[in-house]
Amino acid sequence: MTSISNKTAIAGYGATEFSKNSGRSELRLAVEATLGALADAGIEPAEVDGMSTFTMDNNSEQEIFRAIGGRDLTFFSRIPQGGGGTLGPVQQAAMAITTGIANVVVVYRAMNERSEYRFGQPMHSLPPTSDNVVFAYHGFAGLMTPAAMMGMMMRRYMHESGATSLDFANYAVLARKHASTNPKAFFYGKPITVEEHQASRMIADPLHLLDCCQESDGGVALVIVSAERARDLRQKPVYIRAAAMGSPKGTVSLGGFYKDNILPFDECAAAARQLYAQSGMSPLDLDAAILYDHFGPSVFPGLEAYGFCAKGEAKDFVKDGNLEIGGKLPINMHGGQLGEAYIHGMNGVAEAVRQLRRTAANQVPNVRNMLVTAGSGLPTTAAILGVD
Amino acid sequence: MTDPNAKGHNAPCSNRDFDFFYRGLEEGKLLVQKCTGCGQLRGLPSPGCGHCGSLDWEPVALSGEGEIYSYVTHYHPPLPGFAVPHPMAVVAMDEGVRLLGAMDGADPAHLSIGQRVKTQFVRRDAVAAFRFQNV
Repeated sequence: MTSISNKTAIAGYGATEFSKNSGRSELRLAVEATLGALADAGIEPAEVDGMSTFTMDNNSEQEIFRAIGGRDLTFFSRIPQGGGGTLGPVQQAAMAITTGIANVVVVYRAMNERSEYRFGQPMHSLPPTSDNVVFAYHGFAGLMTPAAMMGMMMRRYMHESGATSLDFANYAVLARKHASTNPKAFFYGKPITVEEHQASRMIADPLHLLDCCQESDGGVALVIVSAERARDLRQKPVYIRAAAMGSPKGTVSLGGFYKDNILPFDECAAAARQLYAQSGMSPLDLDAAILYDHFGPSVFPGLEAYGFCAKGEAKDFVKDGNLEIGGKLPINMHGGQLGEAYIHGMNGVAEAVRQLRRTAANQVPNVRNMLVTAGSGLPTTAAILGVD
Repeated sequence: MTDPNAKGHNAPCSNRDFDFFYRGLEEGKLLVQKCTGCGQLRGLPSPGCGHCGSLDWEPVALSGEGEIYSYVTHYHPPLPGFAVPHPMAVVAMDEGVRLLGAMDGADPAHLSIGQRVKTQFVRRDAVAAFRFQNV
């Protein structure tokens, strides 16, 4: 089997500011992020021959390509699953480059997901596609928002693990603490307390407002090339040590209520199994992580699924300070999607690149290998990134 | 229904895999699929059986009773068709399948995992529906 492990690297990243109203088109955000990533890498737009993004992204490959002065696009692909797909385009890039299909792949995600539309609103399930009839079947009961769908899973997690909303507060406080010292974060300078978390209004009980990610405008792009090429470029190569997708038996998009374990766990465990096999690494080799926090509480089963603690023990792992910088597994040093912004996890990938280059606002000392995950509770994706 | 192509229900987003469920509600029945090949019941409709691969199935009516497996109460934003706060539950039905149902009318403070529930058939505007109630 051809391995993708360490064959490719993230050579550049670019990002717009994160806001509640960007004041410009989504395409403009995508183009700004793409040009920023190329400039960061020191690669001319004319060299780009591959592009990959989310099926949910509204910006077409060819329109970005037209705007950046692209010449000959030979590889384009899109990955479904919304925020579950974050590391899918990264895996696409790694596979395309490793197999010689493309040489310079731009991965992008840009959206005005606050000023032009909002994912937190009740879903409208038409036309009757295979996914929409499932969302409609659940919407029939009134289950119409991602918060309520995850709330249903997390209530069961609380029952099985003994975790409480106070435990979930510990993560929210940590994310906002990190955001408070990250000038790029929307909640820069705005830490919260456990008491403020507990007093924040219910969105979908057991989820409080301060358990929920923000809705954000912004764009992020990455430039991925072969490891060999990356070593000749201006930035320290951030190697893609592993990239995987997970959607085991019984997975349903934000509605896997019919399988044995309804927690946002099985799909993460499936991705973890592949990541550790591809990279030859274990959780002990990882110095830090970006764990997807569409809803902060999902971090708890995530820690368990990726092997950082035993099932049901995340509440203690978090309470004991292990997620702090200086702890066993610092996570979401940018403030996560609760604190920095929600760009479908792509801002977290950018943070991993900054951490591994040692240029982050909240830098983890001596970080060499990081896990980056995507949305859970639906088919998911993940990667291990690292530097020499 | 005189039109043989009519769906026989007014649920807003369905297809030919799901129509039987909404038609059942019009008749006051809570239906799930029973695989003709292996007899397995499935809650969430699908054209195929995940156990034996058979595409043949028949609708069977549940007793409507079961116990809460998990639950959530929606507070925000406003929901089309429901007042908030709006409780819902995934229920382990006595026949062995799980179903998601509204629990409007129940006090969100009195929901718990393991709580016994029964089914009540209701109409929501033009649509035949159901909800669970604490026993």
